[in-house]
Amino acid sequence: MEKKSIFLYDDIGNSYKRKNKYLLELYTLNAQIQEADPNGKKIIRNQIKNLKNNKKNHPHIIALGIFKKEEKNFLSALNAKTKVYRSEMDSSDSRKLRALKTDLFKAKEKVDFYKKYVELSYDAELQYEQSLIELTYLPEIIDLLIETRQELSAAYESRKTIDRNKEQLAKKKYSELKQIEQNRFKEGKVKLKEKKKSGLISEKALRNGIIELKAKRKETNTLNSYSIESKSVNELIKNKKYILSKGIKLKLKILKSNLSDVRRKTPIETEKTIPFYSLLTIPLPGLGQLLNKQYFKALMFSLVTLFIYFIAIPYALGYGNYQGDGISGLLSLAEGGKKIDKSLIFMIEGIVAVFLVLISLGLYAISFNDVRKTEKNIIRGVRPRNWFETASKIEQEGFPYMVSAPALLLTIFIVLVPITTAILLSFTGMDPQNQSKFGWVGIENYKLIALGQGLAGSVFWSILSWTLIWTVVATSLAIATGFFLAILANNDRIKGKTFFRVVYLLPWAVPAFITIMFFSIMFSPNGALTTVIYDLFNIQVQVKNDATLSRITLIFLQTWLGSSYVFLLSTGVLQAIPGDLYEAAQIDGATAWQKLKRITLPIVLFQTAPLLVGQYTFNFNNFSIIYLFNGGGPFNPSKYGNLAGSTDLLISYIYKLTMENQYQSIGAAITIVISMGLMLFAFIGFKNSKAFKEERL
Amino acid sequence: MKWFKKKNKLYLSDKQPLSTLGMIGLALSYVVLITWVIAILWPLFQMVVSAFNGKQEQYLMLNDNFEFSFEHFKYLFNETLYLTWVKNTIFIASSTAILTLTIVSFTGFAYSRYRFKGRKASLMAIMLIQTIPTFAGITAYFTMHSIIGSLAPWFSRQMMLILIYSGGGIAGNTFILKGYIDSISTELDDAARIDGCSSMQVYRLIIMPIAKPMLAIIALWSFIGPFMDYLLPRVLLTNPKSFTLAAGLFTLISDFRTLNQPAFAAGGLLTAVPIVILFIVLQKQLVSGLAQGSVKG
Repeated sequence: MEKKSIFLYDDIGNSYKRKNKYLLELYTLNAQIQEADPNGKKIIRNQIKNLKNNKKNHPHIIALGIFKKEEKNFLSALNAKTKVYRSEMDSSDSRKLRALKTDLFKAKEKVDFYKKYVELSYDAELQYEQSLIELTYLPEIIDLLIETRQELSAAYESRKTIDRNKEQLAKKKYSELKQIEQNRFKEGKVKLKEKKKSGLISEKALRNGIIELKAKRKETNTLNSYSIESKSVNELIKNKKYILSKGIKLKLKILKSNLSDVRRKTPIETEKTIPFYSLLTIPLPGLGQLLNKQYFKALMFSLVTLFIYFIAIPYALGYGNYQGDGISGLLSLAEGGKKIDKSLIFMIEGIVAVFLVLISLGLYAISFNDVRKTEKNIIRGVRPRNWFETASKIEQEGFPYMVSAPALLLTIFIVLVPITTAILLSFTGMDPQNQSKFGWVGIENYKLIALGQGLAGSVFWSILSWTLIWTVVATSLAIATGFFLAILANNDRIKGKTFFRVVYLLPWAVPAFITIMFFSIMFSPNGALTTVIYDLFNIQVQVKNDATLSRITLIFLQTWLGSSYVFLLSTGVLQAIPGDLYEAAQIDGATAWQKLKRITLPIVLFQTAPLLVGQYTFNFNNFSIIYLFNGGGPFNPSKYGNLAGSTDLLISYIYKLTMENQYQSIGAAITIVISMGLMLFAFIGFKNSKAFKEERL
Repeated sequence: MKWFKKKNKLYLSDKQPLSTLGMIGLALSYVVLITWVIAILWPLFQMVVSAFNGKQEQYLMLNDNFEFSFEHFKYLFNETLYLTWVKNTIFIASSTAILTLTIVSFTGFAYSRYRFKGRKASLMAIMLIQTIPTFAGITAYFTMHSIIGSLAPWFSRQMMLILIYSGGGIAGNTFILKGYIDSISTELDDAARIDGCSSMQVYRLIIMPIAKPMLAIIALWSFIGPFMDYLLPRVLLTNPKSFTLAAGLFTLISDFRTLNQPAFAAGGLLTAVPIVILFIVLQKQLVSGLAQGSVKG
């Protein structure tokens, strides 16, 4: 579909013949020039030149000019006529009715006028066809409106004049009928019960039968109740009111969609061949839509313009900031600024500014694409969508974007901005000496970590190794314990399954911080568990002062906490394994061990794998258990310096660095390092997960 | 009597009779299971006992003196801000649940039913970003709060906490809900659309009512989250009056000025009981909700 085609195309690719004879001739010649020999080319080129020079005298252009003039006259005349028509209208009619009548009047006039020019231009044809449709639909709607109004007022009237005596009688009769119906229901019920007693039908059938009888009773009662006049009149009023509000709306909607259907099928003709509006109006979203005559859309996009020029750009340049200096604040980090200026605020406002600019760029792109697409379509022959069509398109295709927008905004400001801050912070020198003002230091922090130097970096590797040991041992032990218990408790011969399940649920259900704190109390020098161990084995254990004992205790504590969750998960899966698998295995002579290895384990592992992986990452970052149990202690300054204790994980170490000792930048660097590791871990796991592969697209 | 004897000797189970080895195995199973029951119940029992033991002083000790009393509960209610903490936690938890549910119900629907540009990429991106510990942002949250707070003084630290919890929960919950909605037949939507329903109506009238069980689970999880979390309240909330339960109860065992371990046990007990009951009643739904999210996600 080339630009200078002799045909026009609509949305779905139907072709239409051009009505503009001038363009038709021009493009026909253009097409011929490709195939002609050199001599012929010359002639055709001359013809084209002639045609272009004499454009003003071309019969079609002249006719078009006349049409435009006439149309102008007609429209102003129509306006005047409409005014007269409106003033003559019955003022007792509702506004809706008057508007509809005016539309009908206009349509009649338009049909007469545009009929003459249908062959001349598609614009005229569109007006003609649309007016025809209005002529067929509007009278019906108007009639319905008038009729319903009359019926409604009649109903109101009749409600006033209801005969009391008649009403009483009807009510009496209705209650009699109701009694009869009730008796019938009771009879039916008794019959059903007898059937149930004699074993003909099941319990469920009885219940369903009663429900059926009840429905029948209700239906008959409602039907009978309409013999009471007041009730039936009220019902009628309700019905008519519904027609007035929703029914008319629906009819108008059908009319509108028919009109837009014509619009889709009637092409547009233009001499323009290059979509230049879109390029010209890039800086001002909304203007291009205005030039394309999509007024409502233009209004919406002008809001975008307002946002960009009055919020995003000023903010990025440093106006309206809380303290910072827009994007340039990111580079300077408040260096040389006032005493109260804080580098961190400058950094965050800079990041926010960057995100605002990114959002603006996205909006520019959306507007540009929109204008360009519409323009290209116009050149091809597709009419730009009017608001009714755009709205329904947005409703269908734009829905996911619109409803995800709040989530996106929340994610940007609550997740992305802080994470970006952390990333940038890791390249700065924010430490206890430089709290309010700090500068960029490049990869200095990462160097400290990698080489294990400095106050904060020296213990990184030893903490990392304990973190890894902790993650692997504590999680695996919890998984193994939970799974083992689940298999034991799922044995057919075990009695009291419900009891076991409820008890095993407890460590998961009791909030972890409570149990951890309580265990911490019990392991303190005079605590309950210390005493019990002393009583039983006669040894005085000081768990909280001994690094190895602390670590072992923590691992067992995590097993205690984590196995509960694994137990519940595996139990759920175990119960869902079909019994015939085991029967088949039994018949083939499998031993219990083989059944476990070949059936149970694979099924349970496969189904719970992603959650089990989640358990590992959870424990890697398990801050609460470390911090609440012993604050990361016991402390051993000769080995772990003054900042960390011997049970500190990386996560609690970061906490101590950032929150308690103000080494924010190196804390951020460690965070970034472990986040990268975790992301890689999650990426591999996620990519290989069955769910992501099977995702239908 | 003869008849009874006969029945006793008949082996009526459809399982094979146990061999001696099997008997020993079964006995061992019981031993292991019961040992674990004791391992779970003993510490919890200690907590209950110390909460009600009037003989306990500031520190918890194991002793044989037991005197039933509500003294520690009285202390909890009169001397500490326990009720304020409960109120705060419930406020934060329910706001989080409502906000999460509103956002996630839309995104879950959109991700399940629409094929739009950047869908898979954004899912992957969100999932990966999610693995970064919330910790990473903590330095920024502080400063962000002071910036927003200067513009809008009503924006409290608790609200910041609510936003952080909801923002952090979007990705995972979207996955779970998406998986659930995927299992609802699209024929239902098609039928509704043919009858003239708009996208919003399909969401409101068709999908949401069917997805109610999963929505309830998501709401529940988002609600319980703030009860369990210790880290963020501890960092973000500075005023004891704005503490949540976790942060508040910790002051009872960490701070020497307010140290009172039995009161902590009492408070822990009061907090744990409703949650435990909730978990026991809803355990099947909670576990299946988790499993569903994982298998699909």
